[in-house]
Amino acid sequence: MSLLEVKNLSIQFGGLRAVDDFNLNLEKDELVAIIGPNGAGKTTIFNMLTGIYRPTSGSIELEGESLVGLKPYQYAQRGISRTFQNIRLFSNASVIDNIKMAATMHCKDNLVSSLVRTRTMVKHERELDEKAMSILEPLSLADKADLLAKNLPYGDQRRLELARALMTNPKILLLDEPVAGMITTEIEEMAQLVVRIRKDFDLSIILIEHHMNFVMPIADRIKVIDFGRTISEGTPDVVQKDPKVIEAYLGGGYQNVNA
Amino acid sequence: MKTTNAKTMHPLLRKIGPLLGCIVFYIVIMLLRRADIINGYYMQVMLFAGVNVLMTASLNLVNGFTGQFCIGHAGFMSLGAYGAAVITTMVFKSNSIPEAAQIPVFLLGLLCGGIVAAIVGILIGIPSLKLKGDYLAIVTLAFGEIVRALLRLIQPIGGARGMIGIPNYANFFWIMFFVVLTLWLLRNLIYSPYGRAFIAIRDNEIAADAMGINTTKYKIMSFCIAAFIAGVAGGLYAHVLSFIQPDSFGFTKSADYLVYLYAGGSGSLTGSVVGAVLLTILPEVLRFLATWRLVLYAIILIAVMLYRSEGLIGGKEVPFLRIKRSSLYEKPWVGRKKNDMSAE
Repeated sequence: MSLLEVKNLSIQFGGLRAVDDFNLNLEKDELVAIIGPNGAGKTTIFNMLTGIYRPTSGSIELEGESLVGLKPYQYAQRGISRTFQNIRLFSNASVIDNIKMAATMHCKDNLVSSLVRTRTMVKHERELDEKAMSILEPLSLADKADLLAKNLPYGDQRRLELARALMTNPKILLLDEPVAGMITTEIEEMAQLVVRIRKDFDLSIILIEHHMNFVMPIADRIKVIDFGRTISEGTPDVVQKDPKVIEAYLGGGYQNVNA
Repeated sequence: MKTTNAKTMHPLLRKIGPLLGCIVFYIVIMLLRRADIINGYYMQVMLFAGVNVLMTASLNLVNGFTGQFCIGHAGFMSLGAYGAAVITTMVFKSNSIPEAAQIPVFLLGLLCGGIVAAIVGILIGIPSLKLKGDYLAIVTLAFGEIVRALLRLIQPIGGARGMIGIPNYANFFWIMFFVVLTLWLLRNLIYSPYGRAFIAIRDNEIAADAMGINTTKYKIMSFCIAAFIAGVAGGLYAHVLSFIQPDSFGFTKSADYLVYLYAGGSGSLTGSVVGAVLLTILPEVLRFLATWRLVLYAIILIAVMLYRSEGLIGGKEVPFLRIKRSSLYEKPWVGRKKNDMSAE
């Protein structure tokens, strides 16, 4: 049994079928990339896999448990965590508080012990602080722990989103365009980072991206989406040579240009 | 050895320092009152300032920290005021109970007032907190008006004429006790997983949801705690003034608290204290201007908002209303030896 089984996932907005018959079997420790032109429905797939949208039809099963119909926070509690394409940090909170907020569901203290700040509660807070720092450290954000998230430079904000998603202890991490707006060197750094956290945190990853030089070296498998449909699927090498993919990206006229 | 002692003394001093400050402040005020430098009228203004601090701080929890927009907060206050007054005036008649029983009855009244407000807070919270922003504001506004209209209809508690003869149990000690206690509890709450969940919802509700925070649960919790505090504040108000009527808890009162909150700085407990105290005292200070005082009061508010749009204290806290991350790593000053032993 796969870790995540997505079958015949479709969603319709009015007359528009934004995603049509999407299937995915994500194995443990696998990294699958979803690529496709703008407006192809990639983020819509993510929004369905995290409970923000309820699919019109189809099923999502995590380790055999059906998730369709649950609320987004329940998806997160069951082990699917994500980052956002347009960064959504808790901008008026400090960097470390951003991370701690993602651990709310693991909170062991009741309201009363938090109100009077018992010794045990302070101990839990200290453990949480240590855990948060241990996640910030490898993402080179540790020295910025007390800054406000909104004051971080763009690249740091992207890494903070990643750190926050890791704090939920996910089984599956969904990365929505993690290198959007980054320059080449930053893209390479992010690729190394993704490879590293995948190993260190024992994660399965689904990732959406436009930048082929980011996706190709790190993905085990690629699915290409266009107009809500899967048009190609396979290892990076196979997908790269698929004429349907080239057509979707470059338009049908490219053969004439070559000639 | 001496240096370590000095280091461990520091957090101890810091922890009880504010409490000592409050006690000194209380003694000074009481001495000034006895010397009649502070007359009864000034005292009354200070008591109202205390009640307003409670109201503003509780509103801050909902509006400033959880990012919801409640504009019917006086509704919770009136429920607390009536709840407490019914206990102390009708259930236990103040002149027929022994003096020793007065304080327990008073505290019971405040507790009941708080609970009534909190229960109603949950009831109104469950359906309405699915609404966002302006829409939630409309519902809370309507709620405040419904409470006022209903209280006018209930004849046993005086209807529109209100309740009179409420014992004035709420002296300076009790007001100050509840202000200090509430600020301490709210500070602890804000620097806890619960407070962080509230702030996460304020800063980005979609992200909070995606990070596993049950946003509805935490919003209702925030609403319920704020309603409880507002209820207690209402109870204190009733026992300062000895007289309450439904129309004193109308929209203008809710609007006052919004003004205190945003002028002081939303999202800062210090701001709530400063805003409520300054703006309670200001109209009294301006009394020599007679009818012009409300004009000047409004002009001052506009100036504050223009030049300090984040409020007077926007986003900052005084040290004892803040918990630094580094304090987590300080050794506790009670039972420290035992801890050290167990570590070895």
